[in-house]
Amino acid sequence: MILTTVYVLTGFVIGPLLGGLISGLDRILTARLQSRIGPPILQPFYDAAKLLGKEKTVVNVWQAFCAFGYLAATSMAVVLFFLRSDLLLILFIQAVGAVFLVVGALASTSPFSQVGAHRELLQILSYEPLLVLVVVGIYLETGSFKIGSVLTHPEPLLLKLPFLFVVLGYALTIKLRKSPFDLSTSHHAHQELVKGLLTDYSGPYLALTEIGHWYEIMLLLGLCALFWATHWVGMTILIVVTYFMEVLIDNVSARMNWRWMLGYVWAMGLTLSLVNLIWLYTA
Amino acid sequence: MMTNTLTSTLVLLPFLAAGCCYVLRSNRVRSLVVLVTGFLLIISAVGLIPLTPFTLSAGNLLGVRVHDLVMVADFLLLFLILYFGFKHRSLVVKILSLLQILLVAYLEFFLIKEVPATGTIYCDSLALIMVLIVSVVGSIICFQAIPYMRNHEAHLRLDKSRQHRFFLVMILFLGAMNGLVLSNDLLFFYFFFEVTTLCSFLLIAHDHTATAIQNAVRALWMNSLGGAAFIVGLTGLYYQSGHLDLQLIIINASPGARVFLLSLALLCLAAFTKSAQFPFQSWLLGAMVAPTPVSALLHSSTMVKVGVYLVLRLAPAIHGTFLSQCVAIFGAFTFLAAAALAVGQSNGKKVLAYSTISNLGLIFACAGLNTPQSVTAGILLIVFHAFIKALLFLCVGTIEQHIASRDIEDMRGVYATMPLTALITVMGVIMMIMPPFGVLLSKWMAMEAAARSFYLILIITLGSALTVMYWARWAGTLMSDPFAGRFKPERQPLLTWGALGALSAGAAVLSLAAPWIYTRMIAPAMSGTYLLPYRASGGILENAAGVFAVLPLSVVAAVGFILSIWAVKRAAGARIVAPYLSGIQVTEPGMFKGPMNRLVKAEAKNYYLSSIFGEHKLTAWVNLGAGVLLILMLGGTL
Repeated sequence: MILTTVYVLTGFVIGPLLGGLISGLDRILTARLQSRIGPPILQPFYDAAKLLGKEKTVVNVWQAFCAFGYLAATSMAVVLFFLRSDLLLILFIQAVGAVFLVVGALASTSPFSQVGAHRELLQILSYEPLLVLVVVGIYLETGSFKIGSVLTHPEPLLLKLPFLFVVLGYALTIKLRKSPFDLSTSHHAHQELVKGLLTDYSGPYLALTEIGHWYEIMLLLGLCALFWATHWVGMTILIVVTYFMEVLIDNVSARMNWRWMLGYVWAMGLTLSLVNLIWLYTA
Repeated sequence: MMTNTLTSTLVLLPFLAAGCCYVLRSNRVRSLVVLVTGFLLIISAVGLIPLTPFTLSAGNLLGVRVHDLVMVADFLLLFLILYFGFKHRSLVVKILSLLQILLVAYLEFFLIKEVPATGTIYCDSLALIMVLIVSVVGSIICFQAIPYMRNHEAHLRLDKSRQHRFFLVMILFLGAMNGLVLSNDLLFFYFFFEVTTLCSFLLIAHDHTATAIQNAVRALWMNSLGGAAFIVGLTGLYYQSGHLDLQLIIINASPGARVFLLSLALLCLAAFTKSAQFPFQSWLLGAMVAPTPVSALLHSSTMVKVGVYLVLRLAPAIHGTFLSQCVAIFGAFTFLAAAALAVGQSNGKKVLAYSTISNLGLIFACAGLNTPQSVTAGILLIVFHAFIKALLFLCVGTIEQHIASRDIEDMRGVYATMPLTALITVMGVIMMIMPPFGVLLSKWMAMEAAARSFYLILIITLGSALTVMYWARWAGTLMSDPFAGRFKPERQPLLTWGALGALSAGAAVLSLAAPWIYTRMIAPAMSGTYLLPYRASGGILENAAGVFAVLPLSVVAAVGFILSIWAVKRAAGARIVAPYLSGIQVTEPGMFKGPMNRLVKAEAKNYYLSSIFGEHKLTAWVNLGAGVLLILMLGGTL
């Protein structure tokens, strides 16, 4: 019981703190790649604090509902991850958050949020099947969807699921809103939709979506970590390398359109997943 | 004795009440009859819970053997369908009904030597679940139909009310459904099967417009095809086993015998036509010309559920066969294809229709997969889909009567004029796609069950991603601007609020109670044929492969919901600003000051991606694919 409480609190509190730190690091790294110095590492926290202190303005009160729903769902997903629950269930709860963010954007009539919301739906459509297939691969290898059984698995999953790790990379790039998949809302100025999906979230509600995003970063990196769960050194190296690759890809690619994204991600992602899954079935 | 009374209430009372609705032409009396019948059905269905399982043999009714009564009724029914074939000049209906008449006559007069004395009625947990759905959801829909039809006829400005015919068929439908799921003698099953075909034809044709009649005739011939497949299958089964006792057929299944498998494949084909699977989807899509309660009834608790019930019932008999695999692939294919077609639709009712076809496909996939988990998922999906789809249809019907459109684009900002209905609709959508609600619980089970078969899981994941897309889009559109300010529920008849409230609350409570439904109703239905797939304790469903903490998650979701509502309350005090339009903001809603100081109207519409998911792009290919799979299924048994 005490252990459960500890896990819940860890997921709930440490999750966003780490996620915020990672996004601070991300900003510094991105800046260095672009020959800038970049902000201090705690800048995401300063931003969130400042936004939280601003006047509440909304286009439609249901945006507040959606912002809270997004935060609740993403934090719940991270907490369940720390509780070593069912991976498929965690993905479903993560999807709830994504859907709330979209519904909140659709609640405004601004064409920027509307188009952003629809692009976000297409992004969900692109990565959601891939994430499920990654989890199915983990199930086939370990015999269970529960994270507990991944942790007790004797050898790193990466050795048996190399292609599925690449597939997870595609989903990660979309989910972290990195180029070339930052269609719905972008960290960069190469976006024609202002802030797209997030255009009409403002003040404290924007801060909530930001904090929710930190939880999501944690969840996805947690998924990556499962691929080398046998030793913490391997796990750290895997995460650092993966994240560095994400930042690198983000900085060297342009923003593409949704047709390309859907076609490319499904073609590559589904093929790689199938190859890896068939390999697991026959092995 | 008790079981006798309750069963006859469930099956015969609707037939009597239907007659009353037709004869007594007073609105008040008819409403009273509908209400009393509905409540009696609900009470009787609930009363059956402690009595299940039981077997009854139909003896005599008024001194005549029930078997002979059903036989005579069967012929009358088929001749009636033949008459409609002549009346509407449909060659296919004529041929199919003649074929059925000949086969029934052959079966009754030449093949069947003695009438089985026992087990005409068999009620186990699966049948009980169906009876509960039919009686509860069906009755609620009939209640809501009372105010709806009053508005509907006022809108059409009819000289003479045709409601007596409408309620005649609606109530009859409920009786036929109860009879169907309780029948163990397949000839009884076939009779009720045909009654539902006729009822749906009459209901779709109710408004008597040219389109209504055209679509109703299409429904008639497609379902007659199902009926013909069914009776051919029955003949085969009788050849093989010498009786038509459903339970015995399942227990003594001989999946090695060709005739047996082919007969079951034909029954599956009949099930697919009833459940409007591809390539038979057009009858269900056409059915939306009828008044909305009809769609709600066809899509949720009756008609389309016949097919999935039949296949889930037969699943143990085809366990481990190629036929079972074919059913699984066919179902998964329909799940994906219907979800894709739903993405391309802006017509709200069509989205609902494709979503029904899609969900039924998933249930077929579960039945065909034929593992303990997947069958559990299939049964749960029937329950939750019935409640939520009925709710969503009634919501769309209510909205349609106000805004005179069923297009999703026209529902933009419907929250401003009818906030409570819009909220209930969004609630329905949320229950369709989000955990911890029942539909997602069943989908979780289905996916974990399908994970061992890579082609199935691939198709199902793609389908479920598309599903999220079309629902989320709709929910967002309903909540969109213009924003009305203070929340003030609109006025609606008490029966409308009652129906919407009962269905949404019912779906939510049942989701919470899913672990108990599993232990009380589904586990007994599975025992004997399947190993129990889950342990249920403390509101948590768990097995070695996965865990879904229904109760804890529901508590967390409830807390999250309350927090979010509190946030909405607080946001009501916040400054409401105009959406960002990238121009000089003006006070007129949706406008901004653009170049040359002119006012420009900002407009945005939803993505329907019809260049990819439009009917003109997909339907032909999907029908072709489904046809090939059906040929594979039938040919594979030979």
